[in-house]
Amino acid sequence: MSTDAVSIGTGRKKNHDNAGYAFVSPAALAMILLIIYPMAYGFYISFFNTNLVNKWNFVGFKYYLQAFTEPDFYQSLIRTFIFMFFVVAGHFFLGFLLSNLLNKKFFGRTFFRVIFTLPWLFPETVIALLFTWIMNPMYGILNAILKSLGLISSNIGWLGSGTRAFPAVIFVCIWKGYPLVMTMLLSGMQSIPADLYEAAELDGATKWKQFLHVTIPGLRPVLNTTLILDSVWWFKQYTLVYTMTGGGPGKTTDLISLSIYGTAFNDFRFGKAAAWGIIVFIICYLISKIYGVVLKDE
Amino acid sequence: MSKTQKSTLMAIFRYVILIGLGLLVVVPILWMVSTAFKGEAQTYSPTPVWIPDPVSMDSFRKFFGIYNFGRMTVNSFVTCLGSMIICVAFSCLAAYGVTRFKFKGKKQFMNFLLMTQMFPSVMLVVPFYAVLTKVRLTNNLLGLIIVYAATNVAFSTWMMTSYFRTIPVDLDEAARIDGATNFQIFWKVVLPLTIPGIAAVAIYVLLNGWNEYMYSSVLINKDAYKTLTVGIVALNSQNQVHWNDMMAASSVSCLPLIILFLFGQKYFIAGMTGGAVKN
Repeated sequence: MSTDAVSIGTGRKKNHDNAGYAFVSPAALAMILLIIYPMAYGFYISFFNTNLVNKWNFVGFKYYLQAFTEPDFYQSLIRTFIFMFFVVAGHFFLGFLLSNLLNKKFFGRTFFRVIFTLPWLFPETVIALLFTWIMNPMYGILNAILKSLGLISSNIGWLGSGTRAFPAVIFVCIWKGYPLVMTMLLSGMQSIPADLYEAAELDGATKWKQFLHVTIPGLRPVLNTTLILDSVWWFKQYTLVYTMTGGGPGKTTDLISLSIYGTAFNDFRFGKAAAWGIIVFIICYLISKIYGVVLKDE
Repeated sequence: MSKTQKSTLMAIFRYVILIGLGLLVVVPILWMVSTAFKGEAQTYSPTPVWIPDPVSMDSFRKFFGIYNFGRMTVNSFVTCLGSMIICVAFSCLAAYGVTRFKFKGKKQFMNFLLMTQMFPSVMLVVPFYAVLTKVRLTNNLLGLIIVYAATNVAFSTWMMTSYFRTIPVDLDEAARIDGATNFQIFWKVVLPLTIPGIAAVAIYVLLNGWNEYMYSSVLINKDAYKTLTVGIVALNSQNQVHWNDMMAASSVSCLPLIILFLFGQKYFIAGMTGGAVKN
């Protein structure tokens, strides 16, 4: 995004600087005290074997180096990448499909827009509990529906199974998160001037060609931001998955945020958890940079 | 196939997809509401019961009764409103500063706002816990307000900046010629024009606060200060899960956001899309 300022007057440069600082300072100070300082503190304790109370043993880069040889960490990381890939792909598939369908005038459009926005309004905790109930092996509605459709013959424990819990969790995360992508894309589409489509139509472009050559380029800035934020937010996902499975069964849904949380608050290995957190931050930062490069070059 | 046939086919196709996917959204929600009005025994019916018979209000009575969720709802409201006020105030000031003045470090400041989105919240929770313990603000709603404000202020500022950018600077100039100070221009000229932007940011912060779970569960362990999300999740870890009570509490906790959405749909959408679209 551009950060160009509108320059007012030229002779009072110093004064100008100060006024800018004065307005920005409350937000900047809040962030320095409450974001940068805690991050720096986290960085600091990542060099210690510490329980934050009475044990402070300096270990240097040990936890960072260890992370790459410790299965707990790198397996959790790989799992999180797979999770992120499917969740974001699901969001964008539904997001594109629905925003395309809803971007035309038809009877019931507002109704459907409201319906499809609903999952966004529900707290992650509520959605997690609701789907835990829906997927309940004994009394859950999911098994009942699938049985009545003849798709399964006996009850299935969705979240209790090592092979089904992961896809089940991905499904719920797609369910929760697609409205954001849908709405972003929809707003982006509505900002594309209609005469571009008219011109394309005159040139004989099919609907699919129009989508590829008018819609997608027009959406580029929105796509860029949405893709970065959606990926990073879901890479860090904690609440929904924690509430549904707690990372289990076994470690099959143990995402990196859950691993870090457990390392800190169950094992009280705060230094190790902090080091892992820093690595996750670096990964998220790299994800955003890689997207930036890839999307710009096209 | 003629053109009208084709467009009829397209319309049918559209409705089939919309209704199919719509059911995937609506059925779980209806199941939540349906369960909320059931008695305990009905939740364990071997065949699914969609319309509770008899309709039971017990779970809703328990919400304010033995579960004491009324208190937690108030706590959630207080923290949401508190953090919202801080975020709106700070982000308006910062957005005005960024869009109206030139100063060193502005670019870094704007980049930093987006970079904060990369910080894993699970990473911040350890330092927050350590710092708040030191200043005795754990088990304190003020502590939670500060944490929510801190975690939301960056993105709020980012959203607000893109809104302030749409307000023409000519207005500032005119007021300046009339002798207004910077703060007067901000307060009397620009701010009244940014109400939609403020609404969007306010909704964004309210929503995040209302839904937040991790910080609240770590920083608060006294019942008197717990927030609603933490209270509801705690129902899941009891020996016997009362699904009807849990679904009733879940339904109630969704109501404020749905009401807010129905009244402020336009701002909600603006809040969701943030600064992404206008840039």
